[in-house]
Amino acid sequence: MKKWLNISAFVLILALLLAGCGKSGSSEGGGASNAAPSGEAGAKASEDSGKKEKISFVHWRGEDVKVFDELIAEFTKQNPNIEVEQNVLPSEQYLASAQAKLIDGTAGDVFASFPGAQFETFVKANLYVDLTGADFVSNYTDNLIQAGQKDGKQYALPYQLVYNQPIYNKKIFEKLNLTPPKDWDGFLALCETLKKNGYIPIAFPGADIGPGQFINSMMMNNNTDEDIWNKVETGQAKLTDEWFVKTLSQIKELNDKGYFQPDSLGTNKDIAGSLFSQEKAAMLATGSYMMASNKQQNPNLEQGLLAPITVPADQAVFEGIHTTTFMLGVNAHSKKQDAAKKFVAFLSQKENAEKYANETGQLVTVKDVQYNTPELAESAKWTDKHTRFQPRYLITVAAIEKAVTSAVQNVIAGADPAKAAADAQKVVDQNLKK
Amino acid sequence: MKPGKSLYLFVLPGLLIYLVFFVYPTLQGLVLSFSRWDGVSEKTWIGLDNYRRMLTGDDIFGKAFTNNLKFMLSVVVFQTFLSLTLAILLFKNTRANIFFRSLYFFPTILSSVAVAFIWGFMYNPNVGVINNVLGKAGLNVLAHNWLGDPKIAIYSIAFAQIWAHTGQMIVVFVAGLQAIPHDLYEAAHLDGAGRWQAFRNVTWPLVAPAATIVAAYTTIQSFKAFDLIFALTGGGPVYSTEILSTYIYHTAFQGSEFGYAAAQSMGFMVIIAVITFGQFKLLRGNRVY
Repeated sequence: MKKWLNISAFVLILALLLAGCGKSGSSEGGGASNAAPSGEAGAKASEDSGKKEKISFVHWRGEDVKVFDELIAEFTKQNPNIEVEQNVLPSEQYLASAQAKLIDGTAGDVFASFPGAQFETFVKANLYVDLTGADFVSNYTDNLIQAGQKDGKQYALPYQLVYNQPIYNKKIFEKLNLTPPKDWDGFLALCETLKKNGYIPIAFPGADIGPGQFINSMMMNNNTDEDIWNKVETGQAKLTDEWFVKTLSQIKELNDKGYFQPDSLGTNKDIAGSLFSQEKAAMLATGSYMMASNKQQNPNLEQGLLAPITVPADQAVFEGIHTTTFMLGVNAHSKKQDAAKKFVAFLSQKENAEKYANETGQLVTVKDVQYNTPELAESAKWTDKHTRFQPRYLITVAAIEKAVTSAVQNVIAGADPAKAAADAQKVVDQNLKK
Repeated sequence: MKPGKSLYLFVLPGLLIYLVFFVYPTLQGLVLSFSRWDGVSEKTWIGLDNYRRMLTGDDIFGKAFTNNLKFMLSVVVFQTFLSLTLAILLFKNTRANIFFRSLYFFPTILSSVAVAFIWGFMYNPNVGVINNVLGKAGLNVLAHNWLGDPKIAIYSIAFAQIWAHTGQMIVVFVAGLQAIPHDLYEAAHLDGAGRWQAFRNVTWPLVAPAATIVAAYTTIQSFKAFDLIFALTGGGPVYSTEILSTYIYHTAFQGSEFGYAAAQSMGFMVIIAVITFGQFKLLRGNRVY
């Protein structure tokens, strides 16, 4: 009797365990695209029956979910047979989290991707449908969608346009009769005037995004070769070369002269943003993407964009830094590519891009969009200027990117620029592309 | 079937879970560690290259290990000392002592991210309470860039870790202290022992096993610390708070070098195993019968 009781109890436990596993497996399998019939058979069945087709839109911008919900509602009204489900994954782990879903086609019929390394990886894995020649591609400004091209094919459409250069307080500049300088001496003089008048010249979020953002505009004219990071990654150029040491020296000069707030390496972007919004700091070393949140904190703020010119005026090639990102693509592994393309085409329409831009405070790459906030209008002026694609995004090895940003932190912490560059080059040497 | 043997069947569900969720992923990680894989493309078998790189061609791995040791030693020494001192002061079950024990235990129930948020705010050089209080007390000289100075950032995080876990260790010490028979103190007193001699000859030998448990637990806990460091500094500035677990995360999820991250994880597992073995030997040495 006891023996049977033991066996029965064991079988029961095992059954419960397996039942638990089975349940979790099935719910996981249907998690991301649960209502969508996956696989060819599912897609065919859906088409045959005329039932709704459900596509998944994978992206990382949690802050845009509301406006995308509204756009999706409008899309569904126009396309009653297509439903769109958003799957938002954290940006830090986007590659790792999205890849499995994208490869097996269970989610991400339409997906967003980052330019640079991630785009290259996804192209190599044949994840994108070639969109070359699709009607909606002509809705975009030609020179702003190059980040989604490879070997003459348009694989992805960068949707957002960001300027990764300092924001400045126009009122403070006007009050002190200052204008964005044209050369390095002018930039130093500007900072000195701001400091003498009791302002923090530059709020620098050295604890998080600051080094990675500021390095772009600081190096853009010190080395104008847009292929420089590829050369560094393959050993054809070194961080110990004059241009990088000069860039570090100039950053150190700004820090040593007290043009950043004290203890900038302990300051994150929220605190730096607050210093700027409270008008204690005249410049904020981040990018145009923070203008909307600054305005929310201080509605009286009037903001502009500038980039430090680190060379004499006649040697300056670039005026600023831009990034085209949030690149929309159609998954080559999706069984619902037609529906997915319809959704991308919908987002590419001027009025929808305009709604997205004005409600999220982000510039877009779609042509003829009208911006309804002063911040967006101010940023939009930069589309006519000669800007350079964000150099840091062209570093494809994460360890090298970190070595570069750490070198910036290192000089702010007091290291000699040549030594900081040598330390960073050591990491580069250990991570050269094979 | 003998009842004795059938009892082993009850271990089977647990064993299955262990095999599926621990042994299988570990073996998979081991296999992956011999490959180069970005998570999307095909895996490439590269033999021992990842291990060679980890041991001879990656300064940051060595730096992360050193940071781990700094963090561990600070936490083990100070947390053990502080929790023992507080336990000695609070081990009697008076109302006040129970209140303070609960108070010190409180941070233990907070998640690491909550602890990171609290300390991130307190350490902030611009709006943080620590520098503000020091400034108001006329002690500006003591104010620091707690998380932004590469020389002290790892110790600042160690302090937050000690704050968060001392209460837990007090509980272990209090249990150990309460188990010491009072007669021994009376006998020591009759023999003319003072407070220090009573501590040295009675309290310490009998509380030593608890101290070893605390030290062992704290060592492993500090070696595996990830969330607190990740949320406070993310490993910066200039790699000064990068420890092995954060470095493995960065290698895998930011660098997309899953094969190399697997090799680092194997290395990390060996380090933890060696430390655990050392602690186990120490534990046996301190056993009091």
